[in-house]
Amino acid sequence: MRPLSSNPRLPHGFSTFVKQKTSKRETSVEKYILEMRDITKTFPGVKALDKVSFAVKQGEIHGLVGENGAGKSTLMKVLNGVLVPDSGTIVVDGVPVTFRNAKQAQACGISLIYQEFNLVNTLSVAENIYLGFLQTGRAKFIDWTRVRADAAHLLENLGFDFNVREKVQNLSVAEKQLVEIAKALSVNARIIAMDEPTSSITKKEIDKLFSIIRRLKERGITIIYISHKLDEVMAICDSVTVLRDGHIIDTKIATETSSAEIISKMVGRPVDMKYPRRPPIIHDEIVLEVRKVSCAGFVKDISFSLKKGEVLGIAGLVGSGRTELVEAIFGARPLQGGDVYIHGRRTSIRNTADGKRYSMGLVTEDRKETGLALHYSLADNIVITNLQKLCSGIFVNKKLMQANVDQYVQELGIKTPSSRQAVMYLSGGNQQKAVLAKWLFSEVEILILDEPTRGIDVGAKYEIYLLMNDLVKKGKSIIMISSELPEVLGMSDRVIVINEGRKKGELCGDAISPEAVMSMAIQ
Amino acid sequence: MSLKPGIHNFRTKITKILRSQGVLIGLVLIIILASILERSFLTVSNLLNILRQASALGILCLGVTFVMMTGGMDLSVGSTVSLCAVVAVSIMNKYGQGTASNSAALLAIFTVLAIAFFIGVTNGLLIVLFNGRLGETFIITYGMQIVIAALALLFTGGQFIAGTFGTGLYQWMSTGFAPIILFLSLALIMHIVLAYTPFGRQISFIGANMDCARMSGIKVSGIRILVYGICGMCAALTSIIVTSRVYSASPLQGNGYELDAIAAVMVGGTSQTGGTGGIINTILGVLVLGVLGNALNVIGVDANAQLLFRGAIILVAVGLDMWNKSISLKESAK
Repeated sequence: MRPLSSNPRLPHGFSTFVKQKTSKRETSVEKYILEMRDITKTFPGVKALDKVSFAVKQGEIHGLVGENGAGKSTLMKVLNGVLVPDSGTIVVDGVPVTFRNAKQAQACGISLIYQEFNLVNTLSVAENIYLGFLQTGRAKFIDWTRVRADAAHLLENLGFDFNVREKVQNLSVAEKQLVEIAKALSVNARIIAMDEPTSSITKKEIDKLFSIIRRLKERGITIIYISHKLDEVMAICDSVTVLRDGHIIDTKIATETSSAEIISKMVGRPVDMKYPRRPPIIHDEIVLEVRKVSCAGFVKDISFSLKKGEVLGIAGLVGSGRTELVEAIFGARPLQGGDVYIHGRRTSIRNTADGKRYSMGLVTEDRKETGLALHYSLADNIVITNLQKLCSGIFVNKKLMQANVDQYVQELGIKTPSSRQAVMYLSGGNQQKAVLAKWLFSEVEILILDEPTRGIDVGAKYEIYLLMNDLVKKGKSIIMISSELPEVLGMSDRVIVINEGRKKGELCGDAISPEAVMSMAIQ
Repeated sequence: MSLKPGIHNFRTKITKILRSQGVLIGLVLIIILASILERSFLTVSNLLNILRQASALGILCLGVTFVMMTGGMDLSVGSTVSLCAVVAVSIMNKYGQGTASNSAALLAIFTVLAIAFFIGVTNGLLIVLFNGRLGETFIITYGMQIVIAALALLFTGGQFIAGTFGTGLYQWMSTGFAPIILFLSLALIMHIVLAYTPFGRQISFIGANMDCARMSGIKVSGIRILVYGICGMCAALTSIIVTSRVYSASPLQGNGYELDAIAAVMVGGTSQTGGTGGIINTILGVLVLGVLGNALNVIGVDANAQLLFRGAIILVAVGLDMWNKSISLKESAK
């Protein structure tokens, strides 16, 4: 393996880190490495950022929180040069800079890691890390030995050791994230902004990520941490800035504030309860019974039942088989064993149309891929589950359709200029409500929600919880999968825990505790 | 940004009109240009001629539109036309002498409809079996195209079949208003089906997002199979009109039809990725290519040079589609 000093890119980067760590950090701890002053950015009809001033200290982990549409993404896109602000200045290390594109920002040491990674799936880890900067040898051919060695070094320095020849598509989400971080370090990033880094990784992986973030901090690298998950922000960040409606509301030292305070600043009102209460309304009638169901090769012998008016939580890690289980019940994937009973009668569900016929609806975990046809209108998306309901004769009655759609838009409080708006223009929360509206329109009795609040803001989450309560009050039954433990605990009447395709236990009432669930989920 | 608001507004308006009505504008421009250059172009008899000629391919395009709305492609329709052509004319020659001609015509029509439906359904079954996306539908229907072409050649021993049957219903199919009426009424029915019935809405939705359609409890597989079957039946009708016009059949009758049809559908503005477009678009696309071909003929452009124009207009249409999409993308980024 090549010694570090012979590598012109890498040692340079690392020596910079070392210098920063020894000189700058010790002498001026309070120095701002980054200041964004009076940044204003307008899009047609919206002022996304209104004189936003945001400062980050050298070597800190700075949380940036806010509801969807608060302006976090816009601010970060301004920071890394993807968007050019209407007015305002960016000061890096005391020097005013202007970025016209991401490359200029990168040259200044600023890297942004997007939620939906910027990696080429079919290329190797090493290639991805050095994409665009591949080292060439004498004859202008790529010097693969060197590229791989450099990449391996970078990952080693992060405390990881995996095959840099591996294709990125074979990596887990957490590993991909690591590649992104290594990529940022390869261009000597001093400020790394991470957009929702924990949105789809498991608890264990989150802990790993945090230890990497802390290690980066030790090296003097500044982290901007953008997230919805407040408990994580409070756990990892030194300071937290709250953004609301394009304004900076406040910046707080993490140890001097509480989640409740931050939430109230985010939503602009005090939030007394995260999960709305509901009186017990469970009927004795069993609407769904699953007996020894197996599917997807690794989900085996799972049994449970669901009562009318009940919210059943399915807890477990990402990849434990939760999604596969509900998909099999709904008919989206074949059952490899076991039976599903609806109202005590045995069913043979072979496809999703059968599932729908048995009055089940599945709100999938990925609303953009499988929940909505993004360039179709809100109305078209809502009615697709039950066009027969709108028919007079053999034709779809447009008037009836409009009336129905209006009803659900109003009932669910979907914010849209018109029901003819394409759903891709709606915010995450409103998109999620649109997916729910699909199944409410179809009048299903059993609603299966897979990660119903992923990636949506606090306000919209609360509205979805209220809606769930409302539904069970009307006698519907809900199965909810969620990776957010507090959500499962806060909303469920009963919880089953899945671990590696097996049911590990069932908890109800006072027995539902975070410790109990977690211990079953990870053993 | 540097433009004055008035001009900016004007530009966005023009852009909007171009985006939504580009094909119609193109059609009108070709008609105006052709009538200035050659007075005989804009006569009732010539226009009827255009429609009559466009009808055969037009019917095929209707079927292809259905397939493309689901986000698929059917390359087998060309050889389906060939096979249906030789089968139909063979039946006519055998049973359609003299007074028996009309009943033989019905037999021929229903036989080829059944054959073509079967071919289409086979396409659909294979595609559904492999859970095929656009790429797979290409390859599967291309394979089918070769198989069917071979069957057509084997059926006739590679020979051309001259018509020997009596006049009647079969011949009537390509004379006067008959093909035009057949095309337009079929277009009307398929438009209504696509735009106003649950079946049609589901077809479009499958094209817009197949995974979402499946997760919404739509019988995606069944609908796709049926759509390929319908497309095949359209090919059968096309073969009847074509053979009726030329009073003969060749095992290579439909060679290249599939690409002509796909081109016309795309010129009309139905996207190859599915979900957007429709029958009205296809009628416009068929007319643009039909009018263009006729205009070039009437003006007296050399046959080889005509291909140049044909190719160019297809490229322009695809460019317009891409431009349209990039604008939508930019809008969604905001």
